[in-house]
Amino acid sequence: MGLPSKKAILLTENSEEDDNVMDDLTEEESESGSESEEEDVKLAEPSKNSIYNRDGLIEKLQDISWPENVEWMHKLSFDIDQEKEVDVNDDLARELAFYTQALEGTRLAFEKFQSMGLPFLRPPDYYAEMVKTDAHMHKVKGRLLARKRQIEEAEERRKAREAKRIAKEVQAEKLKERAKLKKQEIESVKKWRKHRQQSGFPAGGKDSELDLGFEDGKAFERSGKKRPGVSPGDRSGGKAKQGGGKGKNGKNREFRNSKFGFGGRKGLRKQNTAETTNDLRGFNKGSVAGNKKSRR
Amino acid sequence: MGKKRKQSDTQTAEPTKKDEGAPERPKRTLLGWKDKEEVEEQTESNPDSSSLVFRNKEKVMVTCSRRINYRYRHLMLNMVSLLPHCKKDNKVESKSSKGATLNELIELRGCSSCLFFECRKHQDLYLWMVKCPSGPSVKFLVNAVHTMEELKLTGNHLKGSRPLLTFSGNFEKDAHWKLLKEMIVQIFGTPKEHRKSKPYHDHVFVFSIVDDHIWFRNYQISVPHNESDKMVRGGLDKMTLVEVGPRFCLNPIKIFGGSFGGPTLYENPFYVSPNQIRALEKRQKAGKYAKKVKAKTRRKMHELSNPLEPDEFADMWRE
Repeated sequence: MGLPSKKAILLTENSEEDDNVMDDLTEEESESGSESEEEDVKLAEPSKNSIYNRDGLIEKLQDISWPENVEWMHKLSFDIDQEKEVDVNDDLARELAFYTQALEGTRLAFEKFQSMGLPFLRPPDYYAEMVKTDAHMHKVKGRLLARKRQIEEAEERRKAREAKRIAKEVQAEKLKERAKLKKQEIESVKKWRKHRQQSGFPAGGKDSELDLGFEDGKAFERSGKKRPGVSPGDRSGGKAKQGGGKGKNGKNREFRNSKFGFGGRKGLRKQNTAETTNDLRGFNKGSVAGNKKSRR
Repeated sequence: MGKKRKQSDTQTAEPTKKDEGAPERPKRTLLGWKDKEEVEEQTESNPDSSSLVFRNKEKVMVTCSRRINYRYRHLMLNMVSLLPHCKKDNKVESKSSKGATLNELIELRGCSSCLFFECRKHQDLYLWMVKCPSGPSVKFLVNAVHTMEELKLTGNHLKGSRPLLTFSGNFEKDAHWKLLKEMIVQIFGTPKEHRKSKPYHDHVFVFSIVDDHIWFRNYQISVPHNESDKMVRGGLDKMTLVEVGPRFCLNPIKIFGGSFGGPTLYENPFYVSPNQIRALEKRQKAGKYAKKVKAKTRRKMHELSNPLEPDEFADMWRE
């Protein structure tokens, strides 16, 4: 269907590409001398020496045609005018034109049948041989069903993906919220302490101890001095790494550590066992890093 | 042999056939209840009623050339299943004398027209549409072939029910299209009351000229209707079509005066044979390489003709 058009494009491209080659070609063509010239699937302009014997054609038509006043029932044919020119290379438009032509024709024919009072619809209890066998129609049906199922599955997958994305967003939001709350609380405690000091409570005794205990608390340490994942010798304070996808890298490292060593003997764990070979959950699920570990 | 002679007689000498047919017609139609008025008309105007005794005795021989490939063979078999008034014949060797052989074959089988699928080089399909004894013959190039076996064509219809034929309006545009239309009507239309045909109409053929090609489609008609095979009110609007197949596209190449030969009446001025197209493609590919080689030699010649001047600082740092 797309074949002629594709070739046409190809040929026109080529013809634009190099006229030198084309010259050679036309020379050779004239040597072989079968037809005037060629450059396309369809010649751009009609060849001069083609035959068109109109009288002969009309004569032949009269020879073979049925008598003038043949009943329509013998022919069963209709002429349907196309409203507009159909573009050949537009598959959809072309097929639609054919479809509408058929539909129009059928409608006209059925009206005619109805007015003549002839039966034309197959009654449901009229069984006869069909052009396509039942086995073939079964196949067709199977394909349709398979197609439908495929679409449904794709839809489901898409939904799951969407849900996952939303869940992730929600989770991130929650974490942020929590961090904010924590910060606020700490801030408020700080403020309260300052206020207390200013208002004349002694900065010693039981209270100060209590406060010190607070200060040594993990939350303070974390937020203040020590940053997670910064090695002691790192002068940049972990900032150098932070630019490019640190989290992912770290995960990868972790996974590799778990796989290649760093802690205990792995040899046995890496071997397949009966359960792992029978477990097919890991296949066709996209790449989940470290699923081997989770499977254990 | 007697049968054969009878066939050729009906084709060549039409008036005699009509005279013979005239008396037997009333008997036949009196059995049918539907065209009683017609019979009365006929009895009134007996002498000049040539159309009323018209009887379509078309028989189409369908065959193909040897070494046809499977796709095209399937297309041919699809056509056989679509045309109840056809006779399938053995493969024919596709050589220059095939015309005579085929004519003889058609005569032997008592057919009045022929569809001959000719496959060349295992890839190009040509279709000959021929009216046998004296009629014209047309040679088409067939492309965009989809057979009925393809699973995306989901329709189905009765085998042997008479198809409705629809033609696009531009068949009336030119003499050769008119001739083609007449031939298609005769060859693809199943004769009325053919013994292998079935009653009811549940499929429709589309012949449409787009881009100077004849496109063929076959649709199943599905109309909602109840048991008494009467249409539901508004059923015509709810009618839908489902494609059954096959699909193909015919590019007329030539029309000849005789069957498988004779004087050329029409020649498609735009036609390029697929062989030429392939040759062109090949040559262009070859041209690419030749160009490269040419460029290389030209460069070499250029370098030879203007050699580089010896560099005076070449061995400055050589010390």
